[in-house]
Amino acid sequence: MKAAGLSLKRRAPRGPGDRLARPVFLSCAVVTAAALVAVVGVLGVETVRFFGTVSPGRFLTEAAWTPFAEEPRFGVLPLLAATAQITVGAAVFAVPAGLMTAVYMEHYAGVRTERVLAGVTTMLAAVPTVILGYVALTFVTPVILRTLWPGTEAFNAMSACLAVGLMILPTVIVFTRSALRSVPRALMEAGLALGAGRGRVVARVLVPAALPGIVAAVFLATARAAGETMIVTLAAGNQTQLAWSPLEGLRTLTAFIAQSSLGDAPSGTVRYGAFFAVSAVLVAVTWGLHATGSFLISRTRAGDAG
Amino acid sequence: MRGPNRRRDGVGTACGVVAGLVAAAFLTVTGVLAVKAWSVLDFAFLFDPSSRMADRTGIGPALAGTLWLAVLTAAFAFPVGVGTAVYLEEYASRGGAAAVVGKVAAHLAAVPPVVYGVAGLALFVRGLGMGPSLLAGGCTLAALALPTVIVTARTAIRAVPRGLREAAYGMGATRWQVVRGQVLPAAASGIVTGSCAGLTRAVGEAAPLLVLGAVSFMTFAPRSPADPLTSLPTQVFAWSARSQQDFAAAAAGAGVALLLVLLVVNLVALAVRRRLRGVST
Repeated sequence: MKAAGLSLKRRAPRGPGDRLARPVFLSCAVVTAAALVAVVGVLGVETVRFFGTVSPGRFLTEAAWTPFAEEPRFGVLPLLAATAQITVGAAVFAVPAGLMTAVYMEHYAGVRTERVLAGVTTMLAAVPTVILGYVALTFVTPVILRTLWPGTEAFNAMSACLAVGLMILPTVIVFTRSALRSVPRALMEAGLALGAGRGRVVARVLVPAALPGIVAAVFLATARAAGETMIVTLAAGNQTQLAWSPLEGLRTLTAFIAQSSLGDAPSGTVRYGAFFAVSAVLVAVTWGLHATGSFLISRTRAGDAG
Repeated sequence: MRGPNRRRDGVGTACGVVAGLVAAAFLTVTGVLAVKAWSVLDFAFLFDPSSRMADRTGIGPALAGTLWLAVLTAAFAFPVGVGTAVYLEEYASRGGAAAVVGKVAAHLAAVPPVVYGVAGLALFVRGLGMGPSLLAGGCTLAALALPTVIVTARTAIRAVPRGLREAAYGMGATRWQVVRGQVLPAAASGIVTGSCAGLTRAVGEAAPLLVLGAVSFMTFAPRSPADPLTSLPTQVFAWSARSQQDFAAAAAGAGVALLLVLLVVNLVALAVRRRLRGVST
């Protein structure tokens, strides 16, 4: 046996495919690695250069972000606060709605209804966010919000939260469903056998049992919400607005990057570096949320196996 | 918990109402878009160049730009992504540099698209001197799609039963013969699905292209990758931002065209998958 194994390894490649395959696939992996290093590297280098001019302390504590002013101030807190507001606002809409939709699909809907809802979820996930931003700006604000609250401004956080909520719904639904599906069937049957109604078993047994997976879904969804750009830029941010003030509505980390024409900032200037520093904060926030979600999911899966 | 015992109750009714609202919200989005686009959608709108007049403008350049970007993104991201996945799953030893590349790629799938725009500006537009061109846009979108393509292709390759590989090795096949004859055909459907998902997301992105310096007013359709960067998503954005000045309908029209392009991409993927299934069984 051992000899056969060795001879298998030593056998000469049979054709050009055998000789070329490994180097070709390896070079693909090298190109990928180079791309990853380049993306991470350029963000890192420019951010470090930015912090050579602006101290990280000022960056993290100052309460104003006016990089284009005569005396620029680089306090990231206002942007960060706006991102947090949009993210939490979107989650307030999307988490209950996504959870209930997932529960309905898993435990109540007939096969056909379930298929239709799954189709809607897939298609919703494929809608480009700029289209959701357009609908928030031209429909949600003027038609829905202005009817409810006539004083609503043209750019407002509420419409952005609704649209971002809609954007992250598929993520919440898909991961919540898989969390609900991983709850052992016996739990449901035991509950029903004890005489509890289906609704009671769902609310008191199944959802609590699936909670770690549901929490993971929330983290993964909020990671996407925090990084969403086009909806907040269109619906919540004023495009030409350069100075930030708490009264002028809200501008997130992402909206700052998209709104200010970065292409005009000469390379190497502090203004240019500011975009990289903001990007670095954005990456840190979304990575933290995403990694927490992934960790929770890997832990629930490990729990299933054990 | 399927079965005959599917009685309704308070929880079920509440959840059903919410699920209905979710479906209604999706229909509202598409409905609003279709209604607002109705007045502009005709053949002239699809092929006309940009105009300062809202009722005479067209999406010819933006549509051509998005088709260029789709082709460039697919041409860069698919071979590199699938090749990387094959290398990581079938050739690389466990652990070491390859494992790091795989992990980093998985994490980069969570990086917001707009950040790729910032990196692409420094790397492609300025670093490699591509300028704000379709080529720079294609490279940036390919970098954006790459992690998704790699992660989904790896999942598809990993799902191929071990026995299939071992049987082929047992018959004396070389590694390349196993990959080409067994692993890739068995994983092809999943690879196509994942690649298509990555492409759909990348082609619909406006934020990174905006950062690279996409233009929203072009009088000619781009003819080569070196032409200025323009696309449907950035066109939707530019016209939405001017929706007070009668451009709302044009923005919706560009949005409908974008959805149709994405639909075509997905239908092509579906057809490819059907064919693959026909061949492999």
